[in-house]
Amino acid sequence: MRCFFSLILIASTTSFLHAELRILPSSVQLTGKGSRQQVVVQQQIDGRWVDRTSDAKYELTDPKFAVVSEKGIVTPLADGKTTLRITLAQQTSTVPVTVIRGSEYPAVTFERDIQPILTRYGCNSGPCHGKARGQNGFALSLLGYDSDFDHAAITSEAKGRRLFPVAPENSLFLRKATGQVPHGGGKKISAEEPAYQTLLRWVASGTPRTPVNTPVLERITLEPSVLSMGFRQDQRMLVTAVFSDGTKEDVTHLSTFQSNDAVYAGVDNTGRIRTGPLPGEAAIMARYMEKFAVCNVLIPRPEAVPADYYTKLPRQNFIDGLVWAKLQQLGLKPSDPADEATFHRRIYLDIIGRLPTPEETRTYLANPAANKRTALVDRLLDRPEYGDWWANKWADLLRPNPYHVGIKAVFNLDGWLRDSFRQNKPYDVFVRELLTARGSTFRNGAAVMFRNRRQPDELTTMVSQLFLGVRLDCAKCHHHPFEIWGQNDFYSMAAYFGRLGHQGQGISAPISGGEEVIFLSGNKGEVKHPLNGKVMTPKPLVGMADVGNDDDPRQVFAKWVTSPENPFFAKVIVNRMWADFMGRGIVDPVDDLRATNPPSNGPLLDALADDFRKNGYDLKKLIRTIVSSHVYSISTDPNETNHGDHRNYSRHYRQRLRAEVLLDAAGDITGVGERFDGMPPGTRAMEAWTVRMSSLFLDSFGRPDPNQDPPCERTLDTSVVQSLHLMNSPNLHRKITADEGRAAKLAASKMTSAEIVNELYLATYGRLPTDAERTKAVARFEKPNAVRRTATEDLMWALLNTPEFVFNN
Amino acid sequence: MARQTNCAGISRRDCLQLGLGSLLGGGLANALRMQATAGESSSPIRQAKSCILIWMDGGPSHYETFDPKPSAPAEYRGEFKAINTKVPGMQFAEHMVRLGAIGNELAVIRSIRHDQGNHGAGNHYMMTGAPPRIPVGCGAFVSFHPSLGSVTASQVEAPAGLPAYFSIPSMTRSGGPNFLGAKYAPFVVADNPNTADFRVRDVALPRGLTGDRFASRSDIRTEVDTFKRYLDETVSDPATGLDQHYRQAYDLMQSKEAQAAFDIQREPDRVRETYGRNPFGQRALLARRLVEAGVPFITIDDGGWDHHTKLFETLKKRLPTWDQTVAALIDDLRQRGLLETTLVIALGEFGRTPQINKDSGRDHWSNAMSVLMAGGGTPGGQVLGATDAKGFAAVERVLSPENFASTVYAKLGIDPGKILYDANKRPVHLVSDPTPIKELMG
Repeated sequence: MRCFFSLILIASTTSFLHAELRILPSSVQLTGKGSRQQVVVQQQIDGRWVDRTSDAKYELTDPKFAVVSEKGIVTPLADGKTTLRITLAQQTSTVPVTVIRGSEYPAVTFERDIQPILTRYGCNSGPCHGKARGQNGFALSLLGYDSDFDHAAITSEAKGRRLFPVAPENSLFLRKATGQVPHGGGKKISAEEPAYQTLLRWVASGTPRTPVNTPVLERITLEPSVLSMGFRQDQRMLVTAVFSDGTKEDVTHLSTFQSNDAVYAGVDNTGRIRTGPLPGEAAIMARYMEKFAVCNVLIPRPEAVPADYYTKLPRQNFIDGLVWAKLQQLGLKPSDPADEATFHRRIYLDIIGRLPTPEETRTYLANPAANKRTALVDRLLDRPEYGDWWANKWADLLRPNPYHVGIKAVFNLDGWLRDSFRQNKPYDVFVRELLTARGSTFRNGAAVMFRNRRQPDELTTMVSQLFLGVRLDCAKCHHHPFEIWGQNDFYSMAAYFGRLGHQGQGISAPISGGEEVIFLSGNKGEVKHPLNGKVMTPKPLVGMADVGNDDDPRQVFAKWVTSPENPFFAKVIVNRMWADFMGRGIVDPVDDLRATNPPSNGPLLDALADDFRKNGYDLKKLIRTIVSSHVYSISTDPNETNHGDHRNYSRHYRQRLRAEVLLDAAGDITGVGERFDGMPPGTRAMEAWTVRMSSLFLDSFGRPDPNQDPPCERTLDTSVVQSLHLMNSPNLHRKITADEGRAAKLAASKMTSAEIVNELYLATYGRLPTDAERTKAVARFEKPNAVRRTATEDLMWALLNTPEFVFNN
Repeated sequence: MARQTNCAGISRRDCLQLGLGSLLGGGLANALRMQATAGESSSPIRQAKSCILIWMDGGPSHYETFDPKPSAPAEYRGEFKAINTKVPGMQFAEHMVRLGAIGNELAVIRSIRHDQGNHGAGNHYMMTGAPPRIPVGCGAFVSFHPSLGSVTASQVEAPAGLPAYFSIPSMTRSGGPNFLGAKYAPFVVADNPNTADFRVRDVALPRGLTGDRFASRSDIRTEVDTFKRYLDETVSDPATGLDQHYRQAYDLMQSKEAQAAFDIQREPDRVRETYGRNPFGQRALLARRLVEAGVPFITIDDGGWDHHTKLFETLKKRLPTWDQTVAALIDDLRQRGLLETTLVIALGEFGRTPQINKDSGRDHWSNAMSVLMAGGGTPGGQVLGATDAKGFAAVERVLSPENFASTVYAKLGIDPGKILYDANKRPVHLVSDPTPIKELMG
C-alpha cells in the first residue's frame, strides 16, 4: 500500500509541491484535561483531495498550552491560545488552538463519558452483555439505551462486588475489561488507553450519573463527508460530537465505523478508509452513542472516458440518461446490447415467468418490424401468466403458515393476490385494500394478513418493512445502531392497529382452521409504550396522519402510507420491481431504505418513483418503462471497464431461474407437466398456492417456507443438491423419457435430425443452435447404432443440465 | 466447500457476487473475517464425527421406555414391568430387552424438562434448542431457529458433494434451516429402503438408466455447453458457481465409495435381518452406511409415538422391533469401531402424563421425558438425573433443551455459544444457554 502511494507521490511531485492544504477541523478547541483533537490534512493532487496526515509535520507556536503528537493529535496542558503550524513540503497552514480548563480533569459522569466507552468497546453489544439475559450474570441494556438499568448493573448489582472504591483499579469491572482476571470476552481495553483512565477516574470519584441539566448530544458530524478516491488509498476520518450547548468534541476514538461495501472501500476501527482495486462506491458510517453520520466515497476508474462517449449512448427513456450519468462519474462503459434471442428469452422470463415456446421464438426472430419489442412487451403484459407470476412473487412476502392460519385462509389470500395482479390493480389500491381489510377470512383474502399477524407490533414490523422499506424490528426494543427510529416511533405507529378486532375462531391448538372476522373494535384497544406504559397516540414515521373520533385508524394509516407525500411508499415498490428485472435493487436489500444504506443511483430511484406516481401506481406501466430502456437490453457480457460493477447496471446481471419457473420450464421442454396434490392435471408450479403441495424439485431449488418465521428468503443460490436433482431425479427422468413427452414425439415425427436439434435448442435455450452446435448434435443422431429416440432424450437431458438453461442471461 | 464462512450469515453466493475470490486480503475478506470471529470463543474438541438422531415423533412415554416406576400406584405405573439391564441399578421398561443388554453403552437422561406441551412447540424446542418465539399450535410445523442438523451442516464439512444433513424419510417439523438458507435444508430420502429396488433419490442413477448411457449423456453435455463463463472473478459470474456444484455432483456419481454408501442392497442379509426387516430397521441401517461415508448428521424421523389411546396394546407390538433396531445400530457401530465417533440419540418432543387416561393412553407431558444417548464419547452405563417417585417431573439434575442442544453441538465440535447472523445481519445465539451436560461429555 505504501509503495503504491509513494509512486503517486513521485509521479506527481511537481504538481503538488505547491498545492493547497486543507485542514480539518478549521480550529481546535480543547476543554478539560484528557480531551483531544485529531487533525486531518488533505492536499489536492490531480484534482482529488488526498490524505496527507501522516506525511505532515506538526508544531505548536507556544508549547506551554498544548502538545501535538507526530500523528497530529493535539492534547491540552494549560489554559490559553496558541497556533498549530502544519508543514508539508513547501506548504504551511495554521490552525488556531484554544485550551480551556486544560490542567484539570472534568468530572467523569456516566451517561456522557462511560456509556460511550461501553458502547465503543462492545461491552453492551448484542453478542455480549447487551443480550437479553446478559452474559455470565452481567447484563447491560443493548447499546446503552437504558442508563438507569446500566448504572445499577455496574454499581449495585451483585452486591456491589463489581466495584472496589477503596482501590478502584482492583474493581472487577476494570480487571475483567483489561483481562487481568479471566473474561469471556477477552482483553477489551488496556490500562494505557485513555478510555481506561476515564473508567478509573469514574470509579474513583464515586460512579456519578450525569446531571440532568448537562448539555446532551445533539448530533455527530463525519468529515470529510464526500470523497472521491483512487484505488488502494487511505483516508482518515474525523467524528465530532455536537452538544446542545454548541460545544464540540472529537470522538473519533470512541466511534465505531462500518462500510456498506468493503470491496470498494473498507474502514478500520480507527476510522481510516481504505479503497480497494475496483471502481465503485461505498458509504462509510460512523456511530457514536445513538447518533450516526455517513460519508459517501466514490472511486472512479482512473482511465478517463471522453464525455462525448456518454452523449452518444442510446437513450430510450429517462432511465438511460440517469444510468449513463452515473457510469460517467465512475468512468464505466455499458456492455453491448444483448442479441435478439437472449433479449426475447429474458423478457419472457422477467414478465411472465416462463420460457418462450419454439414457435414464439421463431416468429419473433423472423419478424422484421422495427417496433417488435414494444409489441412483444404489450403482448406479454396481457398474457394470463402475468397474474400468476407476480402473485407468486408477492406470495413470498405475504403467504402465511397454513398451520397457523388454516389452509382455507391461505387459499383465500392466494386467490386475492392472483386476482389483484390479473386485473392490474393500481399498487396504492392494492396496499390500501390490504391495510384496511375487514370481514371474514373465508371471504376476503386480504383480511387474512390480520389473522396471520395479529398484534399491533407484529403488523408494524411487517407493514413498515414491506411497504415502507423501513425495518423497525430493532426499534421495538432498542435504538438501532444505524437507524433513526426508536421505540416511540415504533409504538406510535403500532397504535394505528390498536383497535383491530378479531372475532371467530382464533389461532388455537391443535388446528386453527376456522373462520375469523376482522373488524374495527369500538373504542377499545390501545397500544402502550413497553417501558413507561404510556398510551400511544397514533403517529406515522414522518408527516401527519391524525385519527379523528369517527375515523378507523387503519383507514387513516393506509391513506398516509399510500399518499404521494410519503417519501418511502413509491420508492420501495419501484426498487423492488427494478431489482426483479435488473438482478439487484438500486437499494439493496430491496426493503432496507435508510441513510446508512444509500441507493446506488439516487436520481434514478427518485425518477422511477415520480414516474410511477404520475402513472397512477400502475405496475404494468412501470414494467413497460423498465424493459423499454436501453439499459435493460444490454448484455451480461462485461467489457474492459465494467467487470467489477455490481451496482450500477453497466452490464446485465445473470440470475438463476426461480424454482417454479424452472419446474414449469422443465414441464414445457419435456412436454410432460407436473402433478400437484389436490390440483387438476396441467396445473403449473406457478399456480401452486401452498408449500404443503409437496415437490422435491421446488424444495431443491428453494421456495420460501411459510412455516419458517420469518419465511426464509428466497435465494437464487446454486447447490450440489440442485445439480444432482437435474441429473438424476426420477421425476425428471420420467418426463424426458415419457411416451407422451416431447422427445418421444419428436423422434416419432418426420423431422430431420437437424430439425429435432433446432427444436430442442429453441425449447430449452430460446435460440437456434449455431451451425457448429447443430453439426455436432446431428452427428450424435447419425452415429452407427444410434437410436433416434435415445439420441433425442439424451440431447434434451444434456441441455437441461447446462447453465444456459438454468440462468436468465 | 468453504462452509465455515457461512456462520456469518454470508452465503458463498454473496461472496461470489462481491468477487471475493480475487480480493482476498482486501476489505471484504477482512470484514468477513471480523464478522466470522466476532464474539467467538474457541470451538470444543470434536468427539463425534457424525450424529444419528432418532426422532420419535409424537412424544414417547418415559414410563414405558427408559423411566419405569415399578413402585408407583397402578394408575401411574401402567401395565409394563421394569426390567434390570446390564448395568446394576439401571432399569428400563420391559420391552427394552436388547437395549438393556447393552446398557453399559448407553446414557439415559431422565431429567430434561421444558414447558412446551404440544407437538409443534415441543418439536421446535428439542430440534433447535430454542423455544418457539410465539405460541404455536399442536399441528404446527414451525421454525424460528435453525435445527441441530442444519446448523451442523453449516458448520461441519461433509465429503465433497455429499449432502451434510440427511433426513429419512421426511423432515421433522422444525428440522429446517431457518435463516441459514435452503442449502442447509435436510436432504430428504423418502423412499422405503426395505423395498427390493430402493435407491437414494438423485444420488443414484434413476431406474432404467445405465451407467454407459449416463456417461454418453455427460459427453453430450460437455459438447453442448457453450454458455459463456465470465472468468474474471470480479464479475462474480454465478455460472462458475454452478460449474463447481456440477463438478461435485458429477464426482459423487463417479465415486464408487459414495455410490456404495447409498446401496443398501450390498448389506448381507444377516445384517439386514439384525436391524429388522421393516422400514425403520432399514433406515437405521442406511443411516449407518451414511455415517461410514462421512455424513455428519442424519435424522430418522420415526412417527407414531403419540399414544393418547391404547398405549400398552400399541407399544407391546411396536417396542420389540424398535428395541431390536436401535440396539442393532449401536452394537453394529461398536463392532465397526464407529461408535466412539458416532453419537446416537433417541428422543421425542416430550414425555407423557403420569395418570393413565380413560382410553388407556397417556397425554402430552413436558415436565418429564427420557432421552437416550450412546457413542460419540458419551460415557455409557449411566442414568442422569431422575424424576420423582411417580414420574411427574424431573427433580434431580434438572436439565433443559438448551443443555441438550449444547451437548450435541459440543460433541460435534461446534461451539454452542457461537453467534450466528440472520438475514438481517442481526446476531443470534446458537444456544441461549450454551452449557453442555458435563456428565455426557466424558
